[in-house]
Amino acid sequence: MSLGALYVHVPFCVKKCAYCDFASSKTRADDPLMDAYLDERLGELDRCADAGLLDHCKTVYLGGGTPTHLGARRIGALAARIQLLCPQLIEFSCEANPDSLTDDVLAVLVDAGVTRLSIGVQSLDDGELRALGRIHTAGQAKERVAVAVKTGLDVSVDLMCAIPHQTDVSWRRTLEEAIDLGVDHLSVYPLTIEEGTPLEYQYRNEPTPWNDEDVQAKHMEAAERILAIAGYSRYEVASYARPGKRCAHNIAYWTGVPYLGLGPGAASMLDAAGYDHARKVYRWLPPRKPDSVRMRFSTLERDVEFLSSRETWAEDLMLGMRMTDGIEATRLDIAPQTRDELLTRGLIERHGNRLVPTHDGWLLGNELFGTLWDLAVPSP
Amino acid sequence: MNTQTDTSLIRNFSIVAHIDHGKSTISDRILELTHTVEQRDLYKQMLDSMDIEQERGITIKSNAVRVMYDADDGKTYQFNLIDTPGHVDFTYEVSRSLAACEGAVLVVDATQGVEAQTVSNALLAMNADLEIVPAINKIDLPSAEPERVREEIEEVLAIPADDAVCVSGKTGEGIHDLLESICYLIPPPTGDADATLKALILDSYFDAYRGVVAMIRVFDGCVRSGDRLVMMAEDQRFLAEEVGVKRPLEQPLPQLGMGEVGYLVTGLKDPALVKTGDTITGESRRCTEPCPGYHEAKPMVFTGIFPIDNKYYENLRDALEKLKVNDPSLTWTPETSVALGFGFRVGFLGLLHMEVVKERLEREFDLDLIATSPSVDYHVYLTDGQMIEVTSPQDLPKPEKIERIEEPYLKATVIVPPDYVGAVMQLLVEHRGTSNDMVYLSEKSVEMHFDIPLAELILDFFDQLKSRTKGYASLDYEFSGYAPSQLVKLDILLAGEEVDALSFIVHRDKAYQMGRGLCDKLKEIIPRQQFEVPIQGAIGNKIISRSTVKAHRKDVLAKCYGGDITRKRKLLEKQKEGKKRMKSIGRVEVPQEAFLAVLKVDDG
Repeated sequence: MSLGALYVHVPFCVKKCAYCDFASSKTRADDPLMDAYLDERLGELDRCADAGLLDHCKTVYLGGGTPTHLGARRIGALAARIQLLCPQLIEFSCEANPDSLTDDVLAVLVDAGVTRLSIGVQSLDDGELRALGRIHTAGQAKERVAVAVKTGLDVSVDLMCAIPHQTDVSWRRTLEEAIDLGVDHLSVYPLTIEEGTPLEYQYRNEPTPWNDEDVQAKHMEAAERILAIAGYSRYEVASYARPGKRCAHNIAYWTGVPYLGLGPGAASMLDAAGYDHARKVYRWLPPRKPDSVRMRFSTLERDVEFLSSRETWAEDLMLGMRMTDGIEATRLDIAPQTRDELLTRGLIERHGNRLVPTHDGWLLGNELFGTLWDLAVPSP
Repeated sequence: MNTQTDTSLIRNFSIVAHIDHGKSTISDRILELTHTVEQRDLYKQMLDSMDIEQERGITIKSNAVRVMYDADDGKTYQFNLIDTPGHVDFTYEVSRSLAACEGAVLVVDATQGVEAQTVSNALLAMNADLEIVPAINKIDLPSAEPERVREEIEEVLAIPADDAVCVSGKTGEGIHDLLESICYLIPPPTGDADATLKALILDSYFDAYRGVVAMIRVFDGCVRSGDRLVMMAEDQRFLAEEVGVKRPLEQPLPQLGMGEVGYLVTGLKDPALVKTGDTITGESRRCTEPCPGYHEAKPMVFTGIFPIDNKYYENLRDALEKLKVNDPSLTWTPETSVALGFGFRVGFLGLLHMEVVKERLEREFDLDLIATSPSVDYHVYLTDGQMIEVTSPQDLPKPEKIERIEEPYLKATVIVPPDYVGAVMQLLVEHRGTSNDMVYLSEKSVEMHFDIPLAELILDFFDQLKSRTKGYASLDYEFSGYAPSQLVKLDILLAGEEVDALSFIVHRDKAYQMGRGLCDKLKEIIPRQQFEVPIQGAIGNKIISRSTVKAHRKDVLAKCYGGDITRKRKLLEKQKEGKKRMKSIGRVEVPQEAFLAVLKVDDG
């Protein structure tokens, strides 16, 4: 069994941001719900370990919500238990927000063997932060990131473009200041105005030129340029790293490595053997469908998706093309028509024995991914 | 059941009204009071059997139901309630239904008063020599003004409204009085029961097992099952396989006598043979004169209909043939477009008819279709003296071969509060309408008469009229004839290629404005592609307008981690579904609605 990655979702926040449509809720720091939730996850982790699911887990990611909002005691306990149950860990990431990444929290994370922090900075402009409904200031974020970098952990920051009030200048400044803080990794993505969010409500009847697709493209291009000069190379649509600092956990998602997700906003993706093990922990899981080679399920919605080998192949192609390294050229040998079409349209190109996305392929990813995912259904 | 009904107890009538004035609720109440209530739901289903009829609250087919009413005088009356189509597209069908009646209940909304179709329906009824029983409906509403409406009926329609019955279809109030009025005011049928058969076809429908069933009104003589009969227009002979009435389920009878309304199973398999308005008589003993007023329904509006995927061409043909079975007015000829491949040029009675048919084709036959901009039937006189009818812009000959073009005109009537007269005049100017006269019907409404080319009306005239008069205006029209016009063909080029399916015929004076408007509208409708798409409007070789769809710059969901993958894939699948409904023209993906963009060009 080759389960390689574990994700634990922590669905608590001090306050929900204006753009957020993830599974998370505003929770007071002393809310007993957090302890209950922690106990539940610890128990679940134990059962997963008993079933042998965590034996070969290489990477862990604590995501949110805001994991650091759990506070030092609880997040320390969670991280320590994970460390104990996953003997083969090589990377342990934890998401954090500047306001809850206190010195205490930082210390317990280091103690528990966390190796990497991903801090939700989003912007280093106070006006922009307010518009997003973030509860921290730019100054606070810079100070916390600097402290985190000093601990020696690998530090990544999330930055957002195409947000209210943002200009070419302010975006450039945010990027440059983040670079100056000495981070190892950046995730850069344009804001998506999701239905049902306060942001969408606020701008429902107003034009949003700052989120225009041309602006998004321009900012993404600017980020690539500025970050490249500073020594960060893009390895995925939204991910930039210094040499050796790519996020192994996220790469697992894009390269078909089976993973287990715990908590309400999480999904698991398992191969046949992993799924059979998981059924010992999650009794509601139905028996595997005979022709399926990949299973994906979420414990909250209790729905399972069974993918055939063809669908698995198409999904891997689609996800692989999110990365600069693309896919091995031979993987498209059985679909020469699609390959040639993508080459002709200039969405992919050959790099030695690999097929990789072009600049257009990056920006028009949905075209590229959609065409590859179409391969999941054999053409008549 | 005794079929020898005393004709003095027969009342044949129709209920007519402006749309939404409450025709169907009153019909429902009549069924209730005549104890047809048990079957009321069934009746509703039968009368408005098509989804689209129900959704839009309109009736497309005519129908007749027999109900028995025990009146206060102790006698039992036979009511034949004849339901008529409720839209201006179907005026001919309405007139045939009315010809089967002796009376009409004219329903007027107590809160709205007399509107355009109230007037047109009342006029149709008066022209058919019907006794009109006015009924003022919705008197239960707080805003009801029955007295004002009563005056309006007298002033506008010159119908004595002293006896107008105040009713509420909703509460049932006054319905009993209405039924009594029907008995007293509407005369019984008169005719010669002993003469040879003379019956009018009100409408027909197709029954998969029995062939075409005609709804008929017997004027003279009687018809029995087994009779050998003939339809007079084309001397079509057939055997009466069964006669009967709808109550509302079909109830076979030995015969239908003079004055009665019912159904007749013709056994004919081709619906086109049974024509609304035609006269049925005995095969050997024929009546001397057919019922007056028959003519073939003529399509007024034409549009190209194409399957998005050309492999469904045969399915589209089958679907059209199936629809024609119950809608003989539908006509079509094959049409080929460079852009859209194989399809049909389909003729409709009007815009509503077109929308309904297109919707039924898509829904009931699961077809993805493209409809091109509606056109009218142009009469094109060539330099060699020949006249050709052109219903598709593609068929318009080169300008040098054309001597002149004539287009169909309408006589139209708008009824509107005086405050909006200016707005309507402005709209008329924009749509090449010429005002004839204006009559104050009352302090609150003005009737405006004007001539307007049909081609203008089928663009967005009606929607514009409604929006510029805040919904107060009502419209009615009839075909008045052909007149010469300065018309040109406007072509549209996408990425430098002319797209024949986007061409349309327009008045020379409006060509620039329409060209600009259409280029701008198409720019909104056509999504960004991987490359820039110039859109150009051209008359002949001359480019008159231009816009550009910018190239797609960025279309990727940046975030995609473990939990997002399924969602992400679903998004891609949805995107693909959307694409399936687009047509690739050259390298450009064009959405369906682009081909009807001309309907959405703002004139302002």
